[in-house]
Amino acid sequence: MLKVSKLLTLLLIVSVVLAACGGNNENEGTNTGAGGAADEKVELTAWAWNVNVGALNSAMELYKKDHPNVELKVEDIGRLDVYDKLSTGLAAGGAGLPDIVLVEDDRIQGYLEAFPKGFVNLSEKGFDNKADSFPAFKKELASKDGQFYAFPFDAGPTGMFYRTDIFEQAGVNPETITTWDEFIAAGKTIKEKTGAQAVPIDKFKDDALFRMMLNQQGVYYFDKEGKIDFNNPQVVKAMETIKAMGDADLVKDVNGWDGTVSATIDGTVATVPFGAWYYGTIIDQAKDASGKWGVFQLPAFEKGGNRASNLGGSSWMIPSESKNADAAYAFAEYFATTDEVQLIAMEQHGLFPSLQTVYESELFQNDVEFFSGQKIWKLFSEEMKDIPTPYYTKDYALALDEAVKAQADTFNGKNPADALKEAAQRLADRTKREINQ
Amino acid sequence: MKVSNVRSLLVYVTLLIGAVISLFPFYWAAIAATNESGKVFAKPPVLLPGGMLFENIANLNEAIGIGRVMFNSLFVVVIYTALSLIICTMAGYAFAKFRFKGRDILFGMFLLSMMVPYHALVIPLFKMMAAWGWLNTYQALILPNLAYPFGIFLMRQNMLAVPDAMMEAGRIDGVNEWGLFTRIILPSVKPALAATAIFLFMFQWNSFLWPLIAVQTKEMYTLPVALSSLFGLSRIDYGQVMAGVTLATGPIIIFFLLLQRHFISGMLGSAVKG
Repeated sequence: MLKVSKLLTLLLIVSVVLAACGGNNENEGTNTGAGGAADEKVELTAWAWNVNVGALNSAMELYKKDHPNVELKVEDIGRLDVYDKLSTGLAAGGAGLPDIVLVEDDRIQGYLEAFPKGFVNLSEKGFDNKADSFPAFKKELASKDGQFYAFPFDAGPTGMFYRTDIFEQAGVNPETITTWDEFIAAGKTIKEKTGAQAVPIDKFKDDALFRMMLNQQGVYYFDKEGKIDFNNPQVVKAMETIKAMGDADLVKDVNGWDGTVSATIDGTVATVPFGAWYYGTIIDQAKDASGKWGVFQLPAFEKGGNRASNLGGSSWMIPSESKNADAAYAFAEYFATTDEVQLIAMEQHGLFPSLQTVYESELFQNDVEFFSGQKIWKLFSEEMKDIPTPYYTKDYALALDEAVKAQADTFNGKNPADALKEAAQRLADRTKREINQ
Repeated sequence: MKVSNVRSLLVYVTLLIGAVISLFPFYWAAIAATNESGKVFAKPPVLLPGGMLFENIANLNEAIGIGRVMFNSLFVVVIYTALSLIICTMAGYAFAKFRFKGRDILFGMFLLSMMVPYHALVIPLFKMMAAWGWLNTYQALILPNLAYPFGIFLMRQNMLAVPDAMMEAGRIDGVNEWGLFTRIILPSVKPALAATAIFLFMFQWNSFLWPLIAVQTKEMYTLPVALSSLFGLSRIDYGQVMAGVTLATGPIIIFFLLLQRHFISGMLGSAVKG
């Protein structure tokens, strides 16, 4: 009997403890009303990941000088975890969602198609007047049917991060590399003289370089109408170029993100093509390599061709269920369109802004010490206006999957055009989309 | 004599290799926790402790508030394991030793529910919690999986092995129903209890998707959710992450060691002796 009463006591204790913990959630309903009024207290909530959290908090400090009634609580959530939470909340009719959420550009259209009523239409709140300060591709990614649903924030203008010491040792001047053909020729010289391969590629799992090459040429997995564009000669050309690098033994096969970083640090590759945000990774993980890095733009496909491309970037959205939509709009607009905020985001948190008015400032004209005094921010910022719009659609994840398979087939010896053709057919079966022949 | 020496040497060498292979990742994580981030990628790999342990832990604490997060995880896992063990044991007992209408169908349904992918349950569960105002509470983390089908199954199978004759003997000696359960059945399935407890503990300790979705504020994060928040797009402090991972492994190892003796005899099968 003793044991039974012990058991019951335990149960009792547990239920009391649980009941006591229930009190945590009661501040939720307090933020009602429009919230835009000057003296009404508003607590905004936001979801973001990593360095973006710091950027939001810094911006709020500035914002509070004129809006002392507004508070902001940012939840730091893993980048991919945000989407699990956001999708669940939207599917459950908006329960538990924050007032502001950070979404990567390649996901925005997917969310807008899957949940057409899920997010606040920013054009109706007057964002159109402010939008001219953003580059064309960012505007297009943040809107649907001519209406804005996201505040453009950071971007990832691409470049070839390269090891100056390896280039010097091989006697190759990066300024002479203007086309991919020249890049391959230079890569062969470097391989011969130093043993370093040209680029890291996760051959069978990721196609980042392929996507950069597509964007650079103004094509993507889909065209503007949402038709599958894998058979476009320019798309085939990109895959052929990657194959040519592989055939010349210039590609180091790396395993995932960590493999790429590893190759970056140990000097087994001479260049790493990535978005401007890779700067942060290099200075974090290769602290002692100061003075050994430089950047040049992606080589073009023909002499004088476009060298501007983008990889990554994100924007702020306001879920429709937000009880403080007006206050959230006011703050997010302030965040997105204020030079001072964007400069802090860049300088303290390494987030490359898409707000073009800040490119005039000193920060973007300065020498960067880690990069031997090269003006890398000037290089990246000048690229922004020339970046074509990539069309992601809601089937982006499936298209990415098929493109990676096509790349894997190519590295396994298949002709790039055939590999892409088969991938296009598989993608059409999965998405019921038309294929451009 | 000689032959058996050689044989035991072989056995030990094989075991040693196995032990090194399975322990090395833990060792490597612990070492990485004492070095700065970039050392994770060093070639050849860094295998000796560095001097950054306290700095990494300080950074980790600043990023996720390790004390609070550790408390949340421990609190949830201890209550969950205790409650769920009680429920699984009692349900297993009912399924094994009582005859009632629809018993086998009910048990079959429990087993079938193991086949429903967890992701399919998340949205209805989330709606339920939202409707009750339970988002961001401990009960949302603890209650949903209390009647864990696999735990019930495990307990039922082990209790089936307890001979009915033992219970009858108890009844003849005048033990009441509670007494039968607590004084005859429970002691004979101790190893299974330990195994189920370890299983439930690990399930809840490593649980990620549901806590991620059910929890709304940083103060309520559990360890896996908090560790996952350290991953941005391009900037990851691996020293910090590895310090967190090493801390997260601790409680599981301690819990396992505490119950290890029972757990192993549980795996060796039949629980009833004599």
